[in-house]
Amino acid sequence: MFQGLSFDPVRLPDAAEGLREEVRAFVAEHMPPDYLPNSDFNEGHSPEFTRALGQRGWIGMTWPAEYGGGERTFFERYVVTEELLAAGAPVSAHWIADRQSGPLLLRYGTEEQCARYLPGIARGETYFSIGMSEPDTGSDLASVSTRAEAVQGGWLVNGTKVWTTEAHRNHYLVALVRTDPPSDNRHAGLSQLIVDLHGAGVTVRPIRNIAGGEDFNEVVLEDCFVADADIVGTPGNGWEQVTSELSYERSGPERFLSAFRLFVEFVRAAGTDPDPATAALIGRIASHIMTLRKMSMSVAGMLQDGKSPTVEAALVKQLGNDFEKLVPELLRLAPPATAAGTAGSALRRSFEQTLLHAPSFTLRGGTREILRGVVARGLGLR
Amino acid sequence: MDPLLADTAERIFGDRCDKALLDAAEAGAFPEALWEVFSDAGLHLVGSASSGTHAADLFGLLQVAGRHAVPLPLAETLLANRLLGDAPAGLATIATDGVAPWGRRATSVVHAETGRVVTDFDHVPASNLAGEPRDAITGGAETGTVADIGDLPELLALSRVALMSGALSRVLELAIGYAMERRQFGRPLSKFQVIQHQLAVLAGETAAAQRAADGAIEALGSARFGDQVAAAKSRVGEAAGVAAEIAHQVHGAMGFTHEHTLHHFTRRLWAWRDEHGAESVWQARLGVRIAAGGADAAWEFLTSADR
Repeated sequence: MFQGLSFDPVRLPDAAEGLREEVRAFVAEHMPPDYLPNSDFNEGHSPEFTRALGQRGWIGMTWPAEYGGGERTFFERYVVTEELLAAGAPVSAHWIADRQSGPLLLRYGTEEQCARYLPGIARGETYFSIGMSEPDTGSDLASVSTRAEAVQGGWLVNGTKVWTTEAHRNHYLVALVRTDPPSDNRHAGLSQLIVDLHGAGVTVRPIRNIAGGEDFNEVVLEDCFVADADIVGTPGNGWEQVTSELSYERSGPERFLSAFRLFVEFVRAAGTDPDPATAALIGRIASHIMTLRKMSMSVAGMLQDGKSPTVEAALVKQLGNDFEKLVPELLRLAPPATAAGTAGSALRRSFEQTLLHAPSFTLRGGTREILRGVVARGLGLR
Repeated sequence: MDPLLADTAERIFGDRCDKALLDAAEAGAFPEALWEVFSDAGLHLVGSASSGTHAADLFGLLQVAGRHAVPLPLAETLLANRLLGDAPAGLATIATDGVAPWGRRATSVVHAETGRVVTDFDHVPASNLAGEPRDAITGGAETGTVADIGDLPELLALSRVALMSGALSRVLELAIGYAMERRQFGRPLSKFQVIQHQLAVLAGETAAAQRAADGAIEALGSARFGDQVAAAKSRVGEAAGVAAEIAHQVHGAMGFTHEHTLHHFTRRLWAWRDEHGAESVWQARLGVRIAAGGADAAWEFLTSADR
């Protein structure tokens, strides 16, 4: 009917479903002690947990074996990622590299780049950040002004990236830069470069968020040299490359499960025999999760088939982010939350953590407004 | 759903269910010609064992019917014929709490709570807020009892889910079509970003409703059918409210007139979301089951529903 509105049924294959119990046992064994489980993929940084996950073969699951990958299906990866999020495991160290940077290199990178970076990612030892936003560039991504000037053997990069999650702890940044001056075609002249975050000419400064965390950063690049070997894909092809990343970025379970642990704590506080209004609240949230899961699995099926479901992914993210923001608003006034949600309780801590991070849900990975624009294009309105 | 069946239904409904027919039905005139074509094509037996079709086809047919606001008691007739095994002569319907769609025109009624089948009953005419006949049935001669009404409450709820998902797709089409042709401030409404965003939300709700409805239909016969219906009736009912609100806002005063066709779909959405259990009823049912299993089993409850 309209582009992007068709979500075919997907039933996860047995091989994928079979992983579920394994992941649960793994999480039970490796969850850091005294850690408050948190379903937000951006929270919870644990290199130990990530390395153990890599050892288990659950990072780079769909990648070729020659680069340390597991040659598994997107469905198997889907089960592992949703189980980790639902359990509230600390996954932020490898999340971006596994979801986005690795697949980008596989699709556009050279053999040498794949051999150099992917095995470390898959072992849970090498972490990547995304370098898209800048002080003057948010939703209008084509306006990036970080410049890379061709020099002997590579590029000299100058500019500033912001909201760079985990840049202070990660190893590399995939930076979207201008390799040609702006022209009438705003999408031309952009390229992606791999920047060593510990290299010369790179200054990382933390930016404190409203939750008190310092997970994201400003990354200042001053005469930062990047070798020719570290340009991703063809110079000038950056726009196509970043937009293709977004189907991976936008449709996964992390787009509707951020508030899941809050839901679990609420169910705990509600007890096994809640009043009808409380039961209805639980059921309402469940009905959204069940529906979003079906849609997200459907997108995983399209990715498995090699399709690029841009509009569907935007639609899942739009619905998922609005839902995960709604969860704390729905739960806060209900009796279990007011009765059992005393200071210091797991329910109260989950609530505060979710609410304080909720503004970011509809910003990161494409704002609600950008996503609605993508969907509107799919409807033929623009 | 069998694509040939879907095409046939689409053609029959598309050709006949125009605004004049919908208005006439609302005024109380049963669409005899439509019913004749429909039953002559054998579509009134879709989902019955003898027809070689499946329950999923029945609900697929209801999705098509919802797209056209078909003014026949299709959900009840198809489910009654399925229950009765062999279609009785005339029109069968189902009474829930004594209220049956098109009871005034029906020749037999199955009471949903008891499985009792009656003919020669009396009725008191009434209708829902979409103007669809919902007649109170009294008395009548008992001609038999359906031995096993099974999960009839879930099937009836699913019928409204299927009808709503079809109506939602039509409402989205109407809103987009109107936004493209209506010009204000020198350009089509569809070129205003604020309208585009409203339509994107409407599209999201429509897609979610479609997936939820299909998911519940796919679950027919499975152990988790009841949970899937509960989730779908809740989610699609929520979508119905949001979608109707946006579609009316986009249509402006034009969509508030009886002359426009939009209300045939939006009023049905408002009526259907309340029939056979509003969202809160099914949400509570789902929530009770999740709570009973305990917080640490909630995730397993959700994922196992689709296994």
